Amino acid sequence: MTDPLTHPPVFGPPVLRVAGDMGLLVEFGAVYHPSINAAVLAFDAAFAAHLPRGVIETVPSFRSLLVRFDPVELAFERLEAQLNGLLGARDWYRAPPPEARKNWVLPAVYGGDFGPDLAEVADLMGLREDQVIDSHTASGMTVAMLGFAPGLAYLGQLPEIWDIPRRTTINPKVPAGAVLVAVRQTVLPATAIPTGWRQIAQTPFIGFQPKSAVPFLLSPGDQVRFRPVTAAEFSATGPDPAQWIQT
Amino acid sequence: MSGLEILSIGPLATIQDRGRTGWLRYGVTGGGAMDIYALAEGQALLGNGPDDAALEFAGFGGRFRAKGALTVALSGADMQTTLNGAPLDWRRSQNLQDGDVLTIGAARDGVYGYLHVTGGFQTETLLGARSTHLRAGFGHVPKAGDILHAGRKTDAMAPVGLTRPDYFASGTLRAMWGPQSHYFSAATRAAFAAARFKVTNMRDRMGMQVTPDCGPVLAEGARTIASDAISLGDIQITGDGTPAILLADRGSSGGYPRIGVVISADIGTLAQLPEGAEFDIDFVTREQAVAALAQFRAGLKGLKSQLKPLLRDPRDMADLLAYNLIGGVLRGDEHDEN
Repeated sequence: MTDPLTHPPVFGPPVLRVAGDMGLLVEFGAVYHPSINAAVLAFDAAFAAHLPRGVIETVPSFRSLLVRFDPVELAFERLEAQLNGLLGARDWYRAPPPEARKNWVLPAVYGGDFGPDLAEVADLMGLREDQVIDSHTASGMTVAMLGFAPGLAYLGQLPEIWDIPRRTTINPKVPAGAVLVAVRQTVLPATAIPTGWRQIAQTPFIGFQPKSAVPFLLSPGDQVRFRPVTAAEFSATGPDPAQWIQT
Repeated sequence: MSGLEILSIGPLATIQDRGRTGWLRYGVTGGGAMDIYALAEGQALLGNGPDDAALEFAGFGGRFRAKGALTVALSGADMQTTLNGAPLDWRRSQNLQDGDVLTIGAARDGVYGYLHVTGGFQTETLLGARSTHLRAGFGHVPKAGDILHAGRKTDAMAPVGLTRPDYFASGTLRAMWGPQSHYFSAATRAAFAAARFKVTNMRDRMGMQVTPDCGPVLAEGARTIASDAISLGDIQITGDGTPAILLADRGSSGGYPRIGVVISADIGTLAQLPEGAEFDIDFVTREQAVAALAQFRAGLKGLKSQLKPLLRDPRDMADLLAYNLIGGVLRGDEHDEN
């Protein structure tokens, strides 16, 4: 893969685009690259610090920030000017990460019923299963975005050796907490979903707690690492997610 | 507490209010009534609040029995309806007595019909709304045997009605070019803008697949773009060149290029187009879209002032002889009603 950092036009400068009559999109790139995503997250945090009246919500993704707003209350031109001003304030691709992010260390059982695709993933990577587990647990990951299903997190970016394709068939159901991989990413669903990603492990961490005051535990920008545990440790784990936050 | 017992109900019926706001960054799209105007009509007819929830029917209603006295209203796509076997008009409030049976059939001029009760249905809330999201498993899924409670008990109301809005079967929808329009050549965009579209049977609360008469719509250089947020009304083009317009229960993000986006004011009009309906897409400026949105909202606000008193149904007058029919004040416009 060509490095988007060295290959404009897919990388920078950021572009402001009209996204329907209730949205402005701040696009930092066309593809997923950690620097592009870091720019999105840093810009989102800076914008959130001075949110103008009329903004409904902001939606960060791999490569852009959607600002949803009420155009009757907040004129397009005013929001545009504010976003352009903030864009010009610094080089967002080299901005430090937002301070609010959490560090998670999530227990995961690899292989067996908890990771039925581990052997196949090892084959595709040309590694032994224990090497796959070592590589995965050694990788610090960032929540690049959430999407597709409630609370489903896309974590990136794994080393290049993880650039393996998704499945050619859809797995009709993986459980909440399945640890899924492909294309240098880990996907962590918070509900049961059908998927084309490959399941190598499962964590007792469920990122969506519908009845909780804080229903979504992971936010874009959070740091995640996985720690291998046994099935017995998995079963003995209490439900409080705070135990997995590292301070 | 008064309510409605569901005796039978059409497929894909849901509870809907205005939907969920503020959870898009966590992968939760708004949901909410497919036709916001119709939802507001019901609120106006019953004096409900803007967040009250209604039953949304997808093409077919069901049978409902009143548990206790309550007032109901019907809005959205007209569906063949009877009350205890006698025809009942759409878009009016109607007092029900305990045991009355409402029978709501197939849609006649749209897709989504709404049944409202005073105070809205008291089903479970999740993330700030009652809206059922079938795929996400949010909210109550109405089924035969349920008793859905009304939020507010009212004495029988003087019946009011609204005139039928003119947005059904509109031949033109308005859209804007979007953040990914540049992945389509000028020639492709021109052909798309000039095309006539037909609604297919591939449609639900997530979105509607439509067929343009210009043939497949092909993007250039968009194969590698990474996912980002999808807006309500985005016109997504999949690999084979088929457009799908993404609606209330869409996924929150996606990587297929989107050629444009239907304006907010026309989402309900689009959702009410039945299979086989044809329409054009008029591309408008953002100024025009915002003006249309302001006008749409003014229309919602103005519904209350559009309420017309209806002649009392003699059925409601249990004590008919007690009414002073001769001495009643004649307003002089009674014959204009109904």
